[in-house]
Amino acid sequence: MKINVLKPVLVSNQERAKENRKFFDRYNSLVLNIIGAPGSGKTSVIENIVKKLKSSYRILVIEGDIKGSLDSEKLMKTGIDTIQINTITECHLDAFMISQALPKINKPYDLIMVENVGNLVCPAEFDIGEDFKVAILSTPEGDDKPVKYPLLFHRARVVIINKTDLLPYVDFKIKNARKNILAKNPRTMIFEVSARNGKGFDKLINFLKKELAKKK
Amino acid sequence: MHEYSITKSIVELCHQEARKHKIGQVKLIRIRLGRFTGFSPAAINFYFDYLKRGTRCENARIEFFEIPIRIKCPACNFTGEIVEPVFICPECGKPDIEIISGREFYVESIEGE
Ligand SMILES: Nc1nc2c(ncn2[C@@H]2O[C@H](COP(=O)(O)OP(=O)(O)OP(=O)(O)O)[C@@H](O)[C@H]2O)c(=O)[nH]1
Ligand SMILES: [Mg+2]
Ligand SMILES: [Zn+2]
Repeated sequence: MKINVLKPVLVSNQERAKENRKFFDRYNSLVLNIIGAPGSGKTSVIENIVKKLKSSYRILVIEGDIKGSLDSEKLMKTGIDTIQINTITECHLDAFMISQALPKINKPYDLIMVENVGNLVCPAEFDIGEDFKVAILSTPEGDDKPVKYPLLFHRARVVIINKTDLLPYVDFKIKNARKNILAKNPRTMIFEVSARNGKGFDKLINFLKKELAKKK
Repeated sequence: MHEYSITKSIVELCHQEARKHKIGQVKLIRIRLGRFTGFSPAAINFYFDYLKRGTRCENARIEFFEIPIRIKCPACNFTGEIVEPVFICPECGKPDIEIISGREFYVESIEGE
């Protein structure tokens, strides 16, 4: 006997992501899903954003890590609230893991940044209820990353090129990177920053302020 | 890898469908997988052999059918298949194209008795 099923496999994640979205909408929070390779500078970029925005906005960071809580401890030092999620076996955060953390959110936040597990493949598939995905690409990784990981660079609305202070020492051409990113998604907003010396963050912060204003 | 939880969903979905349609043993699961997704059939098969135990899918195997990436260009109406996910119209060079297929991932059918 043959039965036609025709059911999508990811449907349950998608449904849960919608539920999360409703939760975030209660306080009109802007939610960013931040994705990048291990060590690309996700935590450092978040720290820089927090420093510039924490006096005017209520910020929460959700940290997804396979193990440990080093990153959230680091961020707690900046004085903002953090929630740690350990994924243990999973290489990405999915909508279920986020939904389990939601009961811990008992205050309204303007900005919620989610640091996904360091990985360019899996997090690109799983929506968590975010407003948009932010991909972080650091210069030592090479400017061909968007060619190798097309799905992430197709789905991310914002790409942050980090570690621009290292440009003189690495084989990374901003021009090539831009071309490769835009080939995956011509509407992507690209920002060039250095989380080490703070260069380039003003443009990114202005952009985020505009997005935050849209929410109110 | 993330195929673990995905494979679990596949097994649960097929087990439930089998129960609904009174299929005791599923023999074949047909899955349609777009080429523009982040899932690997090999990894799914790897977890499947372990996760299917004790379910109605215990004796099943999975057959994958790949769906190519097809795009449409609103500017020149070009419609067609692309191999590399580069989102520039091969006809007129405009970058604003729509993906018509290639992102699918679903269980098409199950067979058994
Ligand atoms: N030179 C330079 N180093 C940086 C920059 N941003 C981050 N780093 C360094 O890169 C290393 C990794 O930074 P993290 O911010 O921890 O990176 P991450 O992506 O959060 O890493 P995981 O959470 O472990 O995946 C640290 O040693 C940072 O000091 C940068 O702009 N320039
Ligand atoms: Mg980190
Ligand atoms: Zn065209």
